[in-house]
Amino acid sequence: MGPAWVMEETGVPAAAARTKRSVKVTGVSLLRTRAMQGKGVKRPRGEMEGGEPEPQDPGAAPASSLFNISMVKLHQSLRRVEPNLRHLVLVANTLRRMQEQMQREAVGPAAPDSPEAPPVVDSPAPVSDSRDSGLEPCRPPPSDKQGDDLLLSTMDTSISTILEDLGQVEALSPARPEEEQPLAGASGARQEPARTSGPCLGPLELLSSASYLLEDGLEDIFEDIDTSMYDCDLWSPTSLSGFKAFSGAEDSDSKALAGAEDRLDMSDLDYLMDVLVGGHAL
Amino acid sequence: MAGVAGGGGGGGGNDFQWCFSQVKGAIDEDVAEADIISTVEFNYSGDLLATGDKGGRVVIFQREQENKSRPHSRGEYNVYSTFQSHEPEFDYLKSLEIEEKINKIRWLPQQNAAHFLLSTNDKTIKLWKISERDKRAEGYNLKDEDGRLRDPFRITALRVPILKPMDLMVEASPRRIFANAHTYHINSISVNSDHETYLSADDLRINLWHLEITDRSFNIVDIKPANMEELTEVITASEFHPHHCNVFVYSSSKGTIRLCDMRSSALCDRHSKFFEEPEDPSSRSFFSEIISSISDVKFSHSGRYMMTRDYLSVKVWDLNMENRPVETYQVHEYLRSKLCSLYENDCIFDKFECCWNGSDSAIMTGSYNNFFRMFDRNTRRDITLEASRESSKPRAILKPRKVCTGGKRKKDEISVDSLDFNKKILHTAWHPTENIIAVAATNNLYIFQDKIN
Repeated sequence: MGPAWVMEETGVPAAAARTKRSVKVTGVSLLRTRAMQGKGVKRPRGEMEGGEPEPQDPGAAPASSLFNISMVKLHQSLRRVEPNLRHLVLVANTLRRMQEQMQREAVGPAAPDSPEAPPVVDSPAPVSDSRDSGLEPCRPPPSDKQGDDLLLSTMDTSISTILEDLGQVEALSPARPEEEQPLAGASGARQEPARTSGPCLGPLELLSSASYLLEDGLEDIFEDIDTSMYDCDLWSPTSLSGFKAFSGAEDSDSKALAGAEDRLDMSDLDYLMDVLVGGHAL
Repeated sequence: MAGVAGGGGGGGGNDFQWCFSQVKGAIDEDVAEADIISTVEFNYSGDLLATGDKGGRVVIFQREQENKSRPHSRGEYNVYSTFQSHEPEFDYLKSLEIEEKINKIRWLPQQNAAHFLLSTNDKTIKLWKISERDKRAEGYNLKDEDGRLRDPFRITALRVPILKPMDLMVEASPRRIFANAHTYHINSISVNSDHETYLSADDLRINLWHLEITDRSFNIVDIKPANMEELTEVITASEFHPHHCNVFVYSSSKGTIRLCDMRSSALCDRHSKFFEEPEDPSSRSFFSEIISSISDVKFSHSGRYMMTRDYLSVKVWDLNMENRPVETYQVHEYLRSKLCSLYENDCIFDKFECCWNGSDSAIMTGSYNNFFRMFDRNTRRDITLEASRESSKPRAILKPRKVCTGGKRKKDEISVDSLDFNKKILHTAWHPTENIIAVAATNNLYIFQDKIN
């Protein structure tokens, strides 16, 4: 007979055949449990529809909540050390589609839904005046529309950068050792246009890979060394993935976005690198 | 025997109905994550039914021989073997945990007394041998009955060990481990009709393996762009043709299917056929791409057709016609107006599977609220059934279910807003020759069969 197993139709639970193990809940399933109630509970109609009507006109720009939801999803997908590529690609493509639509609407003739247009006319210093007086030309106060554009361009570049980082991750993987991908150079150059937060990712990736390579035999060497100064979240994957956060993105669920706090100064990195390399020589 | 899905409830002339047969799994409401069934597969004869779960375990059920005293009751499926196929692993390089969840199980055709199957998680495929042992040897010369070695100098006579019967023991042992060939998550494995090779597909690549060789595989499809920033499409499923060992297909997140011929070139980046249905401009929305993403592709047994499952429909394609499917079946069209909410709670990314019956006359796929749907390709009738404990009396006939989309809700109908989206049927399997189906509902496995009239 086969080994004892759980239940047949009698419904008697077996003892330890199936151990209950908790599995970490990712951001995605949190979103799901938040939005859905339990099994079979009737939900009010309004809640089911998410509070936002479907845009009937396929040419209309997405509702801002839909855009925000997509941004949150993208962030949550990227918070994971190994994102679900299908989910990531589908969300990114959907965001790009929304972005195109929003840009199309921004470029189009002034519509009643763009109250920001008048402020451009009212800007205090017209260009001609500044040229004459030598003053800095006053740009019109940043409107929401310009903020959106900055957001959109940041997002587009960031999506590309993120996906490129995935390519770098693969370069570290033993599965394809023969591939050589530029680590620091490409990401540094790429981040130039829109990145406003932090140093580039390249050196940190090098650092993390270097620490891995030195890992063997390090425990013994460092036993008598006080490492409390380095016992921060320096080496944790979350601090590294924080570099994939957007700057300028506004969304309510973004408290997990790393941004500036997890940045490391280049001087700190240099110092730590020296310690590691010096420690190995011991 | 033709497997035909019964018509809608109440219609005249139905000679076919589905009945409850068995249910496996815990009853309690608190579902352990590890117990969630992640794959279901009958073997080639249908005598064995394998399930994999999120905890990395494989449970194989075997059909009992029919009982002569109860000729009308078909053989039941009982546990035959249980083993831990995959364990959680830790990738130290990337500092992440590799899930032990079994993504797919595929049986090999039986060639001797033992059974072989392939099981895979996100990164590693394993070939398992399941064999029976019902005899053991007694009377060894060099060791005692309890296994202790005997002192050679004390052996004064030789004897021949005798085989004696013992209680049947089913052993599962890993015979091959195919590892380190996938950077991304494996979504499909498919055994070739030559019975010597198989393919494994992840998000961006497909590899071809020989069952005997574990230290290398051939990469036959690679859609990874030179710059990952240009990534817009991933592979979602792949399968070998059932008869032509050089032909396979793979589906994408953009709703396309590519058929490739391995004879044309070593790297099958250029497809032989490209299947895509043009988008309907009237139903275009921001979610068009997501709902067109194909979650499963299955060849018919005949090899002439293939079936694809996207979020809202199942499509049957004739391999000779690339520009549109020959049949389209709506699984739950009433969800089209709810896509925004389903996007918000990520249900829109659920990957439903689909399957053919043995004669290719019917197809089946799952939905929400523990509903599953069957479509008869000949009569064009469809039916919605539910896998629930309430209708789990032995040989109870399943009552067709209906979802009310608006207006007055009739008795016994359920409204769209009352559907439980946590109860999803992603994995179903149909016996290769008979009308027996296995339906995985979270942590329970339901077995239904047709009622013999």
